[in-house]
Amino acid sequence: MGELGSTAADAVAAFGRRRAATTALADEAEAVAATCQAMAARFHAGGRLLTFGNGAAAADAAHLAVEFVHPVIVGKRALPALSLVNDPATLTAALAAEGPDETFAAPLRCLAVPADIALGLSPDGECRNVARALGVARARGLLTVALVGGDGGRLAGSGDVDHLVVARSSDPAVVKEIHVTIYHVLWELVHVFLENPDSLTDGAA
Amino acid sequence: MTGLESLYPFLYPSSGGAGSGERVLGEVAASTREKIAEIDRLRRRVADEQAEEIARCARAMAASFAAGGRLVAFGNGGSSTDAQAVAACFTVPASPGPALPAVALTADVAVLTALANDVSFEVVFARPIAAAGRPGDIAFALSTSGGSRNVLAGLAAARRTGMLTVGLAGGGGGAMAEPGTVDHLFVMPSSSVHRIQEAQTTVYQVLGELVRDELRRS
Repeated sequence: MGELGSTAADAVAAFGRRRAATTALADEAEAVAATCQAMAARFHAGGRLLTFGNGAAAADAAHLAVEFVHPVIVGKRALPALSLVNDPATLTAALAAEGPDETFAAPLRCLAVPADIALGLSPDGECRNVARALGVARARGLLTVALVGGDGGRLAGSGDVDHLVVARSSDPAVVKEIHVTIYHVLWELVHVFLENPDSLTDGAA
Repeated sequence: MTGLESLYPFLYPSSGGAGSGERVLGEVAASTREKIAEIDRLRRRVADEQAEEIARCARAMAASFAAGGRLVAFGNGGSSTDAQAVAACFTVPASPGPALPAVALTADVAVLTALANDVSFEVVFARPIAAAGRPGDIAFALSTSGGSRNVLAGLAAARRTGMLTVGLAGGGGGAMAEPGTVDHLFVMPSSSVHRIQEAQTTVYQVLGELVRDELRRS
């Protein structure tokens, strides 16, 4: 590859492009804390977590679910979570029968009960099937959480989203990295509220 | 003091009662900021210490793809979802550059469960690599500990086949850090599985960016 080959300076520059969005996440700390409290209240009342997203965010939806079901920190209780992206038979059936906007809304209609939590990931906040599923979830009484990026897109102003956490970058790869931190923190700190049940109600929006 | 008390001492002095929600909310927000500072420090350290090796690995991966190589990614648990994100990052890239052939071994539930049921969980990655791997292909392994036996077996099968091997690990690198295990090793120096995964996500996405940029230039 000669002079066309990647250099250490290229790698350093690529890492450098992540910094602003990482440090800007600190501005979302209160939103993250409020989301943890609301999610903990749902788990405390017997709710389950249902997750969804497209592309790399589909992998994140599955990652998020396994965090809750099989905690990496020994001694933390397992919490009920299910990724809606794991079953290609269901996904492709919904896609073929009801169209791309319904890929997550269709299984959610079958699986969700009002006590549950719906959590959608959309790197630009514009994923129509994520927005649609959050709308169906909200109408049914679920707590709705959206992890987005950029300016939040259509989900930023949506009345269907109870809790919105934004990764401040227009690069979907950077947004993904920020989302991984956000959902790791959501998982870990949900347990702080659950282990202190008095904290679940007062101060809650 | 229990482990939980030392992690979250604010829960214990006066847990319960009025204002508990507000107080815990404030402490959780502070804890969130600490974790953000921690991942920022870890990414900077990885960039400082491993940029040269990341560039070297990107050059080797670009050469493999240019010669017709394919990538297979694998890992367990959260790392299995990262393997799928690695594959998606090459096949349907979010940034400019060519789409490149990559598959996640963890996406094939039929193969995984067949091997786990009929043979053992240790062979779930090694067998498909032995079956379909070709010299010059890329094996991309993710393990937060560096010690997952099925991941190490997959890497060993890839080396026997003559594949380029790339390993992402954490902590001290575990068995993956032993000489002769992988061609390109990246160890995230952290004791937190979560921070390790977050830094690994950056490493594989940066590798993807560098590989695509390089192939676009050539």
